[in-house]
Amino acid sequence: MVIEKKFLKGNPLKDISEYDFPGLRRALSLGQENVIQEISDSMLLGRGGAGFPTGTKWSLALEQAGDKKYFICNADEGEPGTFKDRFLLEERPLKVLEGLMIGAYAVGADEGFIYIRGEYDLPIKIFREILEDARDEGILGKNIFGSDFDFDLTLVRGAGAYVCGDETSLINSIEGKRGISRIKPPYPIQEGLFGNPTVVNNVESLACAAEIINKGAGEFVALGTDNSRGTKLVSLSGDINLPGVYEIEFGCGTLEEIINDLGGGVSYGNKPKFVIPGGLSTAALLPEELNCGYSYEDIEEAGSSLGSGAIIVVGESRDLVEILLKVSRFYMDETCGTCFPCREGNKQINFMLNQHKNKKFTRQEVEIIKDIGDAIAAAARCGLGQTSLSLIESIFDKFPEELIEEVRHSEKVRNR
Amino acid sequence: MKRLEIDNIEVEVEPGTTLLEAARKINVNIPTLCYEEELSIFGGCRLCVVEVNGGELLKPACATEADDGMIVKTHSPRVREVRQTLFELIIASHDISCELNCLTCTRQSSCELRVVAEDIGISRMRLNPIYRGLEKDFSSHSIVREPNKCITCDRCIRKCEEIQGIGIFANSARGPETEVTTFQDKGMGNVECTNCGQCIISCPTGALHEVYHSEGVWDALYDENKHVVVQTAPAVRVAIAEPFGAEPGTVATGQLVSALKRLGFDGVFDTNFTAYLTIMEEGTEVVKRVTENDNLPVLTSCSPGWIKFIEHFYPDYLKNLSTAKSPQQMFGALAKTYYAEQAGVDPEDIVVVSIMPCTAKKFESRRPEMNGDVDFVLTTREAGMMIKSAGINICDLPEENYDNLMGVSSGAGDIFAASGGVMEAALRSAYYLITGEELEDIDIKPVRGLTGLKKAEVPINEDLTLKVGVAHGLSNARKMMELIKEGEEFHFVEFMACPGGCIGGGGQPIRADMTSEEALQKRLEGVYSIDSSKKMRRSHENPMIQKLYDEFLGKPGSHKAHKLLHTEYTARGLN
Amino acid sequence: MKKSNDIFLETVHNIQQTYGYIPEREINQLAEKFDQPRAKIYGAIKFYSMLYTEPTGKYIIRICDSLSCHLKDSHDLLLAVQDYLGLEDGETSSDQLFTLEIVECLGHCGEGPVMMVNDKMYTELTKGKALEILQDCK
Ligand SMILES: Cc1cc2nc3c(=O)[nH]c(=O)nc-3n(C[C@H](O)[C@H](O)[C@H](O)COP(=O)(O)O)c2cc1C
Ligand code: SF4
Ligand code: FES
Repeated sequence: MVIEKKFLKGNPLKDISEYDFPGLRRALSLGQENVIQEISDSMLLGRGGAGFPTGTKWSLALEQAGDKKYFICNADEGEPGTFKDRFLLEERPLKVLEGLMIGAYAVGADEGFIYIRGEYDLPIKIFREILEDARDEGILGKNIFGSDFDFDLTLVRGAGAYVCGDETSLINSIEGKRGISRIKPPYPIQEGLFGNPTVVNNVESLACAAEIINKGAGEFVALGTDNSRGTKLVSLSGDINLPGVYEIEFGCGTLEEIINDLGGGVSYGNKPKFVIPGGLSTAALLPEELNCGYSYEDIEEAGSSLGSGAIIVVGESRDLVEILLKVSRFYMDETCGTCFPCREGNKQINFMLNQHKNKKFTRQEVEIIKDIGDAIAAAARCGLGQTSLSLIESIFDKFPEELIEEVRHSEKVRNR
Repeated sequence: MKRLEIDNIEVEVEPGTTLLEAARKINVNIPTLCYEEELSIFGGCRLCVVEVNGGELLKPACATEADDGMIVKTHSPRVREVRQTLFELIIASHDISCELNCLTCTRQSSCELRVVAEDIGISRMRLNPIYRGLEKDFSSHSIVREPNKCITCDRCIRKCEEIQGIGIFANSARGPETEVTTFQDKGMGNVECTNCGQCIISCPTGALHEVYHSEGVWDALYDENKHVVVQTAPAVRVAIAEPFGAEPGTVATGQLVSALKRLGFDGVFDTNFTAYLTIMEEGTEVVKRVTENDNLPVLTSCSPGWIKFIEHFYPDYLKNLSTAKSPQQMFGALAKTYYAEQAGVDPEDIVVVSIMPCTAKKFESRRPEMNGDVDFVLTTREAGMMIKSAGINICDLPEENYDNLMGVSSGAGDIFAASGGVMEAALRSAYYLITGEELEDIDIKPVRGLTGLKKAEVPINEDLTLKVGVAHGLSNARKMMELIKEGEEFHFVEFMACPGGCIGGGGQPIRADMTSEEALQKRLEGVYSIDSSKKMRRSHENPMIQKLYDEFLGKPGSHKAHKLLHTEYTARGLN
Repeated sequence: MKKSNDIFLETVHNIQQTYGYIPEREINQLAEKFDQPRAKIYGAIKFYSMLYTEPTGKYIIRICDSLSCHLKDSHDLLLAVQDYLGLEDGETSSDQLFTLEIVECLGHCGEGPVMMVNDKMYTELTKGKALEILQDCK
């Protein structure tokens, strides 16, 4: 039986007069190196999807020369099925702010941005108020809490472009450009916003960082598995009885248990047709593959990825092509349109799927889809493109009878 | 130095060298589409992807710097496979259909997609184009955009912004709708486009091309009641043989005349003639304005792209422009007056055609203040196409001379084709007009060559040293204007919209086989080879010019000259 | 882009709050302020689906049709709303009251189907509830 482990979750915390920022105060007394050491000790992996170690990112950023550095909180959450950052922004915004400020202090940034997607009206309002109050209270500004740490934070509203969640696109977007990805290297920590070293962290990563400094790395490391420490906020949605955001200690249960114990089981048919374990950029898992532990490594072992922690359950009798079309339309609409494989590839895939609403695919068509998938994965410029066909390809792999025509005798002869 | 291995060959390169450059160093050609040497890196087409250290993710060679110990495979089976698929996708996005196909395409023989197809060894094409149904942009007098053919490589965007410093194009929308467009989708004719045509030269496909005038010219030629005369600009003769397989810079003046006569033109004239006239008029104006200290510096007015530029971006300086019309328009004005009189033809029946290296000349000919003196303007490319479709190979023709009336030329006109040419010719004449003597050191070298901004001081007499400047390419024009704005002193400044001057014009042949720099250099050598081989090199020495003034215009700057040969400008700003 | 002390996106959002869209003359001014060709500013604005260069309806109705909402029958909701408004994706009603958009995930996937009316989010909708909400838009 899986139950929630509350490390990040807690009572709503929005009123700045009720919070003393103990983590930030502790950080300021620890000093930059020690803060980073503690984050490194916690083995926190970035929660934005890529899973990059936060301690490493911060220490690389600290090493960067230059007197101007930026710290950005990525609150552009937009991958279908993901809403855990919104939960934090609405319920625990002060923890996010605290984590952000701890990070900024640790890497030596004096200016920061929180980029919230434009559709998140409530979080925007909450943060606008918090920033005003924080400035009034001297929590933002010069010599914060009597230290020599100066920091100001600006709220930037996104304007409806999922790809801006990618850190390089997000930086372009703040700079006032089209939100298209940048070619890496240089990485943002080398040359980011306005050409200066820039750290970008996810909302949840920062909330974790705040709690780690607050409670000590020890408590965090003690949770989870060897390779996945701490807890993870999971967004459960789709054909499930009790959707929502749940906090799960890594390794404390399987995907199946999460779906049944926390999610209350499948709501459409008796069992899932498949489950998407980490958002639309991750491969589907069949019911028989759900017996895998919830951790970065176990899900990878099962052939998929934990991604942003969005678990989408698809019920037994769902129409596959309908679902493929939704996935494909998302990628087609949301590519930034800069690199050819991603733009043209996703467009072609969507076109082909649209022609197969009640018709199976031929072997040749599947081969084309696979070739396009390979080309995008190998040659696209950013993560959006590179992973855009993971889910679609996995569905073709796992449901051949439902999707692909039997090879007819005549065709076999012709192919020879 | 960085040491690495590309396709099993050891290479050593300077830090900062890209894999694309490193591979070229050992003569390995990696296909590219969105890459252009003189522009910033875009990294969109991904055709140049290569395998680095066996990694899953392929790296764009154009945007990846060489590093120590890299093992690079530029044509591994995986790379070739991915490239084939990428190319299939690109072609599917290029929308080849009945209406739009290779055979009727302006770039049928200079299509970069075809070059790349060959480089890749493309062996399959499994995807059909998804019709985008975008409308063609016919708003401009000079340039047509066919967005369905556009593959959004962004080269035109970068060319316009980075080389010309204007930026009329941008990417708009997102995802599958991503397209290249203009401000508020107004179309090229309704924004600050200077019509220079440099975007056409950069486009790898036929998505951008000139507004064709060739149909009108054919009709005029077929019409027995029309008397059709043609003028050819200096820069055309060093480029017109290119579509017939010759090297850039091949001088084909006589062959061009011969070809045009075969096409049926009733008179074939050299724009050089009116180029002298421009020099005489402009030189006179310079002398007058320098002595009277009247709105200095004098800015040249013969490049119509530059004129539109200054009308949009520096309208306060229109009074500094020389009022002299460009040689093209002077020819048009004279053809329908002086020439009509001489030849005894009703001006109504005269059709004036020009062959120009320039797309902006099309717009110029349509300016209301030009009275429709020039009826049709063909680019060098269009002229080449017409000659070809008449079954003529220009390289095989004997040389013929221009028709007489306006046809004797000296070198001073030919160098109009290159940046610094107008300046040099004008200096030769101004010196004469002021001192009554010939300028001894006739090759005024500092104003020649491909440097973007050039300055020189030419001592005229004890009291006067002329400070002159030359700028070509509109980014440089902007820099020069900023210098002038800041108060740097000049008497006379030459401006050309296109990098290199007219030889690099937007109407010149497009090379899929060499960079535009290389082509420019070769054409430049061609131009100066004509100049130094000519005897008569000063405008004021041209006997026909003397005759024209004596018989018709009076003297330079006269009332009649003003009426026919001078013009005015429009302050446009950004509207 | 030149770092004007203002953040471009915020400036643009504010303009849109004033006019309901971003008028041409404002783009001209933005070009000057941020020292960019105006085509570029236009292109940047057009990148974002929440920014408009032409007037929209007084109420912008956004219905999520991404996967999780799709599994909660967002399609039926969509059809009902389309039918009620007589609008297709991206269209604005002739009385300038409504603009309808089918959008990707709005971040309320656990509470689908979801509809946004201007800034306001409505979750766990039924057709009936949605039409009631629209009837109140005047
Ligand atoms: C297409 C795309 C969308 C992304 N969206 C988000 C997002 O909404 N939120 C986020 O935090 N990271 C997102 N990322 C990941 C970011 O690029 C970046 O890795 C992350 O913000 C770093 O934070 P972390 O180290 O704390 O995880 C996205 C990446 C890609 C390629
Ligand atoms: S992969 Fe897609 S989203 Fe990323 S740069 Fe390329 S086109 Fe843009
Ligand atoms: S040439 Fe390298 S990506 Fe286009």
